[in-house]
Amino acid sequence: MTPTITRTKAEPLIGKRVKRREDPRLITGTATYVDDIQMPGMHHACIIRSPHAAARIRGINVSAAKETPGVVAVFTGEDAKGVGPVPCGASLPGLRVPHHYILALDRVYFAGHPVAVVVATDKYIARDAADLVEVDYEELPAVADPEKAIAEGAPAVHPEWPDNVAFNFHQEGGDVNQAFAEAEVVLKQRITSQRLIPTPMETRGVVAEWKSGDKSLTVYSSTQIPHLLRTLLAGMLGLPEHKTRVVTPEVGGGFGCKLNVYAEEALMGFVAMKIGKPVKWIESRRENYLCTIHGRGHVDYFEIAAKRDGTILGLKLKLIQDLGAYHQLLTPAIPTLSVLMMPGLYRFRNISADIVGAFTNCVPTDAYRGAGRPEATHGIERMVDILAAELNMDPAEIRMKNFIKPDEFPFATATGLTYDSGEYDKPLRHALEVAGYQKLRAEQAQARTDGRLMGIGLSTYGEICAFGPSPATPAGGWESATVKIEPSGKVTVMTGASPHGQGEETTFAQIAADELGVDIDDVVVLHGDTAVVQYGIGTFGSRGTAVGGPALYYALQELKVKIKKFGAMLLDSDDVSFEDGVCTCNHSGRTCTLAEVSGAAHRAMKLPPDTPPGMQATYFWEPPNFTFPFGAHLVVTEVDRDTGQIQIKRYVAVDDCGRIINPMIVDGQVHGGVAQGLGQALYEQAVYDENGQLLSGELTDYAIPKATMMPWIESAHTETPSPVNPLGVKGVGEAGTIGCSPAVVNSVVDALSGLGVRHLDMPLTPEKIWAVIQKGGQA
Amino acid sequence: MIAQDFNYSTPATIEEALGLISGGEAKLLAGGMSLIPLMKLRLAAPGHVVDLSRVAGLSGISEAGGAIRVGAMMTHYEVESSALVRARCTLLAETAAMIGDVQVRNRGTMGGAVAHADPSADYPAALQALEARVTIAGAAGTRVVSVDEFFVDTFTTGLEPGEIITGIEVPVEPEGTGVSYQKMLQPASGFAIVGVAVRIRKEGGVISFARVGVTGLGSRAYRAAGVEERLAGTAGSASDIANAAAVIADGIDANSDIHASAAYRAQMARVFGARAIQAAVNRAA
Amino acid sequence: MKISGSHTVALGKERAYEVLQDPAILARCIPGCESLDRIGDDEYQMRMKMVLAAVSGQFAGKVRIADQSPCDSFRLIVEGSGKAGFMKGEGLLRLSGIEEGTQVDFDGDVQVGGTIASVGQRLIDATAKLMIKRFFAKLADSAVE
Ligand SMILES: Cc1cc2nc3c(=O)[nH]c(=O)nc-3n(C[C@H](O)[C@H](O)[C@H](O)COP(=O)(O)OP(=O)(O)OC[C@H]3O[C@@H](n4cnc5c(N)ncnc54)[C@H](O)[C@@H]3O)c2cc1C
Repeated sequence: MTPTITRTKAEPLIGKRVKRREDPRLITGTATYVDDIQMPGMHHACIIRSPHAAARIRGINVSAAKETPGVVAVFTGEDAKGVGPVPCGASLPGLRVPHHYILALDRVYFAGHPVAVVVATDKYIARDAADLVEVDYEELPAVADPEKAIAEGAPAVHPEWPDNVAFNFHQEGGDVNQAFAEAEVVLKQRITSQRLIPTPMETRGVVAEWKSGDKSLTVYSSTQIPHLLRTLLAGMLGLPEHKTRVVTPEVGGGFGCKLNVYAEEALMGFVAMKIGKPVKWIESRRENYLCTIHGRGHVDYFEIAAKRDGTILGLKLKLIQDLGAYHQLLTPAIPTLSVLMMPGLYRFRNISADIVGAFTNCVPTDAYRGAGRPEATHGIERMVDILAAELNMDPAEIRMKNFIKPDEFPFATATGLTYDSGEYDKPLRHALEVAGYQKLRAEQAQARTDGRLMGIGLSTYGEICAFGPSPATPAGGWESATVKIEPSGKVTVMTGASPHGQGEETTFAQIAADELGVDIDDVVVLHGDTAVVQYGIGTFGSRGTAVGGPALYYALQELKVKIKKFGAMLLDSDDVSFEDGVCTCNHSGRTCTLAEVSGAAHRAMKLPPDTPPGMQATYFWEPPNFTFPFGAHLVVTEVDRDTGQIQIKRYVAVDDCGRIINPMIVDGQVHGGVAQGLGQALYEQAVYDENGQLLSGELTDYAIPKATMMPWIESAHTETPSPVNPLGVKGVGEAGTIGCSPAVVNSVVDALSGLGVRHLDMPLTPEKIWAVIQKGGQA
Repeated sequence: MIAQDFNYSTPATIEEALGLISGGEAKLLAGGMSLIPLMKLRLAAPGHVVDLSRVAGLSGISEAGGAIRVGAMMTHYEVESSALVRARCTLLAETAAMIGDVQVRNRGTMGGAVAHADPSADYPAALQALEARVTIAGAAGTRVVSVDEFFVDTFTTGLEPGEIITGIEVPVEPEGTGVSYQKMLQPASGFAIVGVAVRIRKEGGVISFARVGVTGLGSRAYRAAGVEERLAGTAGSASDIANAAAVIADGIDANSDIHASAAYRAQMARVFGARAIQAAVNRAA
Repeated sequence: MKISGSHTVALGKERAYEVLQDPAILARCIPGCESLDRIGDDEYQMRMKMVLAAVSGQFAGKVRIADQSPCDSFRLIVEGSGKAGFMKGEGLLRLSGIEEGTQVDFDGDVQVGGTIASVGQRLIDATAKLMIKRFFAKLADSAVE
């Protein structure tokens, strides 16, 4: 299928830098977040959390808290144990799934574990009374490091599984032993992807309202997945799904950490039902750091096999995933995505991967921007550079040599994927050209003679987006759209993808406006309320436009058929066309407008043959495959010999995300993604001490990059349309993050290569770099 | 992130404020950039907060008798942008400009920063190098102490309970003094991992006057007398500077945390010390 | 977190060994100590109020003395908790006679949890040092009395 866009307007909006329509409310402070919701009689909850990473609860004394004027209830694990466990949606053979109570029962498993909840008439009373709840803990030994956790003699996170192994997973493709036997070079490297804290600007928050008259529950939550949340929440609370409604107001950043179902969401539902009043809980930043999922948390042992000419033959990986104490929604599935993406953009077809999922006394890890793919890309892109260094090859040349060629698509990978389309050398060549690669290398040689440490780093990343075909996605991987043309001709789009910052209120309006030939201001895009929008899957895995977009496209096509039927009736014609919002009789040239058509369809005085009244179409689209965006990032760094500080001199990003609907939004996604990639490469790290205390527990100690710390990003694009969907789009939400960290680390390793440095683990803190320089390159 | 209940007063005069804090239970509030986060985390829970923002006599920047007096309630931004401070005590203005971020500089005050005595705060390095004096009002009247006496230890000052800092005095810098504040910042908070403030004067081609203040390294900001001694009388060549900066951390029990070990901090004090000295030497006429 | 250091006490070794285990003196010298009550052999219950600039917090806990090797060394085990978090420390104190009196070397491990651990990270080391410094300063005063 060749992608086609019907160009109905003289000037199509697709491809234009249309300003984001969601921004005025966001930047004028008039958007409604969960914390902005006020309701008559609303109560407030404050959650008591364990300060210990592992402890037995000997007793909880709530009497002083209960007696506080204004406190209406205090609930503990005993009270709430009937609520269903926090769900894990991923399944793997032999997966050990601990029962995840919404409030700890007799034992806590990580610092921040919810133990009790105080409910009061205002949030100040709730907070004060929380200090009066006395929990008697018997502290137990804890383990916070995944490699230590699976070693002999470590304290058991869950006593029933003393080895702390939640699962072992093996995947292989091709013949890896053969590849390694034939290899002329075999190189090994341990590479870590440290635990990160997603840090959305808006922390989580929940308001729950129980309507006892009709026994229905409405939950307002800052989530990426309103419909899935509704289904799972109803199950946890034992409510019928149709009596449960989830509303997602504005979401101030998700990045995967709100692609989840959390204990607190069910807990607020439970509390609202118990007290018969609405209740609000807003997560503090400290809670956000302690209790909302973290990302990454890999220790990877890579081995690469190659020929002396640089041809990669095979790759082996042993991956130890720090799972934390529980499985959240997708926890165990995330490292399996890393395995899928292991081959990167390269042609070799022999891989073998072993994952060990390790329980630790830490908050669970789960999807964080890129979810498994940044880890994989970081690994393969580091290994390719390590190989290039060993063979004395240019990192650009070794990549070109191993790329899958354009005529090899669709390309079946060793990990069972089928890459849709690509011209992998295009963005790389473009990046080299923009950067002036040859000149940079000459500058670098000069810098070296001057005693300066300058580095040039590349990453050519591949992505797996548009999650995804339903068989590969736990709760279905399709997406839905409804398009309504109101009697006046105005257009309402309802998408099941629940955008929260990605800008689909703009891009989807562009698509609808182009297809229907109406002004963009005549289109509104609604989402995020299960009582308003048809069932949908949500926004994650760069799927919003790549799966939600085609659903909208097909709904629009259905509607256009109906428009033409009514147009033909009004124009009394058997041959009409519909363009630029106008139906034209191809014989007489007479026309009628979309408003006239829609008015007629709603009044229904007369109907075309076999056509019901109304002007609405809903489409559920199942994607036939993932999409596979790709790109090349090039980073020039200079390392300060005396301090170990790294300066990013140039950042060139050439991304190919298929057809671009709005270049400004795509740039924004790349910029934001790169910021988070730089955060991982240079600054961020969730630091737990050996007892499971989170030491980087606030923004004063957890360094996310600020605006002043960002380099100028020279951003460019190539456009290789995807054949998977009619829009040709691929997805770009995670690209920046995936492409960034290996390019930065490769650049710094390149800068230090003269000292014999071959690898450095993230984050590249000045002290780490300085220490390496002091030791003359020994990491 | 909700503070415990507290009473709140906004006195209009220093006397009134002194009266309100005499019981010992009240806490003064200036810019709130340090105090409010501690209260929200419930690491501080004063029963009574006395806001200094309306107290007369704590604001203004003026020059008299060879000194510049900065009122305790002057924000970092007001210090950084004051024409007087920029012209006559450049080191202080440049240091103020490097504190935290714009929002913090718009609210945080000099009196608050000095009273808080955070071992990683920026001002104390400059104030040590400037041999500044702190003016303190108390029930018994006003007293003036040198910053070296004032900064006692980690978060510990010579301020007695019931006292208020009213202002800070720094010298008017004679023409030709070269100054510099160089800081390695901790990327999360912006505080100094180490910061070194330097003042240099030259006479007949040799360094005749050197003052070096260091923050971030030890439990309090200090004057690196050893460095000053080694600089005095030299031409301020690169090797003179390296030789002097080498002793900047001597005798200091260096701090360590997840951002920097003690050894690295000490070395960065030497590196940033040398850079600050070099920059000051370059600027000295 | 490891802490270690050494302080000098202007007392003979026998006297220093005694003083360092004397609850009345400890109560006076532990910064912020409000009460220290014996609950068993070499075991005491303690309440303390820690004040450091704007930060203040109440802690309740236990102090235990173990592994006594009279006049040479003993082990001090302290644990406390309050709203701001908890701390546990264990250290070996070694005494040696010197000209000025007795040198006390300590070597221990401090574990901090809760809010103070995750937001006060950069202050813990400096604060621990300060508290110990204050303790020995007070001890020096007490010893003179
Ligand atoms: C995000 C962030 C980043 C920061 N980065 C830096 C940095 O890079 N460098 C740096 O140096 N600082 C930094 N700070 C701290 C900042 O400079 C604070 O403003 C300063 O430490 C305290 O000043 P304040 O006016 O806000 O005092 P407050 O927070 O109001 O008070 C602090 C303490 O001083 C006492 N106090 C205040 N005024 C007086 C007075 N006149 N007399 C007696 N006692 C008084 C208060 O009772 C309180 O104990 C940062 C703060 C934040 C929030």
